[in-house]
Amino acid sequence: MPSNETRDSDAILRCERLDRTFVSRDAGENRVLQDINFEMRKGEFVVLIGPSGCGKSTLLNIIAGFDRQTAGLALIDGRPIAGPGPDKAMVFQDYALLPWLNARENIEIGLKMQRMPAAQRTETALRFLELVGLAEAAERPVYKLSGGMQQRVSIARALALEPKVLLMDEPFGALDAFQRAIMHKELVRIWRATQATIIFVTHSLEEAVFLGERVVAMTPRAVGLTGELRIDMPRPRDPLSPEFAAVKRRLFEMITSHLTEEVAVFAE
Amino acid sequence: MSMKSADAALRATAPARAAAPVRTLARPSLLASLAPALLGLVVPGAFLVLWWGVVAAGVFPPSVLPSPFTVAAAAFDWAFGDPQNGGYSGTLAQAIWASGQRVLLGYAIAMVLGVAIGVPTGASRLMGHLVDPFIHLLRPIPVTAWVPLSLVFFGFGFKGAVFLVALGSFFPIVVNTIEGVRGANRSLVKVGRMLGARGWRLLWYFILPASLPSVFVGLRLGMGISWELIIVAEMMSVKSGIGYTLLDAYSFGRFDVVIAAMIVLGVMGFLSDRVIVAVQSVALRWHREVSIHAEQ
Repeated sequence: MPSNETRDSDAILRCERLDRTFVSRDAGENRVLQDINFEMRKGEFVVLIGPSGCGKSTLLNIIAGFDRQTAGLALIDGRPIAGPGPDKAMVFQDYALLPWLNARENIEIGLKMQRMPAAQRTETALRFLELVGLAEAAERPVYKLSGGMQQRVSIARALALEPKVLLMDEPFGALDAFQRAIMHKELVRIWRATQATIIFVTHSLEEAVFLGERVVAMTPRAVGLTGELRIDMPRPRDPLSPEFAAVKRRLFEMITSHLTEEVAVFAE
Repeated sequence: MSMKSADAALRATAPARAAAPVRTLARPSLLASLAPALLGLVVPGAFLVLWWGVVAAGVFPPSVLPSPFTVAAAAFDWAFGDPQNGGYSGTLAQAIWASGQRVLLGYAIAMVLGVAIGVPTGASRLMGHLVDPFIHLLRPIPVTAWVPLSLVFFGFGFKGAVFLVALGSFFPIVVNTIEGVRGANRSLVKVGRMLGARGWRLLWYFILPASLPSVFVGLRLGMGISWELIIVAEMMSVKSGIGYTLLDAYSFGRFDVVIAAMIVLGVMGFLSDRVIVAVQSVALRWHREVSIHAEQ
């Protein structure tokens, strides 16, 4: 039953009592998500954090429309999510660019699928390449770009669709530490410039504290979400500052306290 | 303080680094760049010498194993001799044309059918369940076993030969197309769906380009099989072409022509494979580059 409570008019995304259970012949039932309630307002930057196997990617895949919940509701703009589409654009960890197209064409192909006229496609693609700082790489084949540059193309491709939510699944996991630090700053800049609504999945505390307005923690086999932390630290945030370290510690404790509880439950 | 000493330490190591020899890439000499090609000729050259030696030593009667020179002379006469002389003189071009057109037509049919059947079979689960078992039941039947049926339905001649070539090269093409479409990079298909592509557009813009490397594997295998089957067809049921010449020369004991025909077949197979590889290297430039970059 959908609840009758008054809805936050700003809420762009809502998950209500979301369940996801995988059934396999040998492992039986595996309940990955249980009673998840989650809401996001327009323009918010939320980081989903948790250890491997906590179900954060499953939740992201349900929101993206690649997976379906077994029970509960997932709504975008008040409408149930039914399959993938450009309103929930995803940035994948492996970039997933089409290697037979150049950088500009990789962005245009998405617009073409939206049946945008050719001239407008090119103009839009170049505008978004400019936004991610790749204007001069427009005609280069994507396999000749570095990992960081490829991920920029992937971000531009997703943003060019003007999605209601931008989903990022550990997008910088394959980059080295220096490229990652640059991409963090870039992402904050791009987010501010576009006012995009972003869900960012990671298992890095530093990434979460640097990027998130709100960090939502998940742990395996937990009912609902484990905890939530609002981060009001001013930007740009300095990962080497004591304030930053303090927030990181609070987040770490929030996640691990649940993990140890679980170990205790297991030991019984 | 500590900064200063670190600085000093850096400076202390600097001269050592500067003293290290600077390696420059010397331009390879002409001889060095030709070396691989020359090396490739060593074994064939040795083989020719061995062949010539065996003939000269009289191990086999010269009528059964002619010397390389006799074969070369026969090949030259076959290619450039005056047709008025009779025999095989000057009939090579005709033979190549006769076999070549059968191969081309049969292969073209196999390519069209293989891709046309392979794509939907790989893309749709229903089609897969319908078509897959049938293909895998037919595939183990050697194409040569189809010869009697082919003779009944298509008779002796052009049609029967084209049928056998098409049938034989159809299987590698269709199987590799199915695999290519089915195995198309999953995250690229996911991207296509995310970008809003469905049905034909998903197939055309995302799945098909991703499947092309596998399709080309099938096309190359199919071309190899085409040249095998044209010879079978021509030996069994056709009165022209390289395969026919080969069998005809055998029945007259002209082993010089037999061997010349074998060499011509090798060259034809090699050249047609090169043509496919050339097309592939243009169409799949990205694929080659991606694999090179992945190795780095």
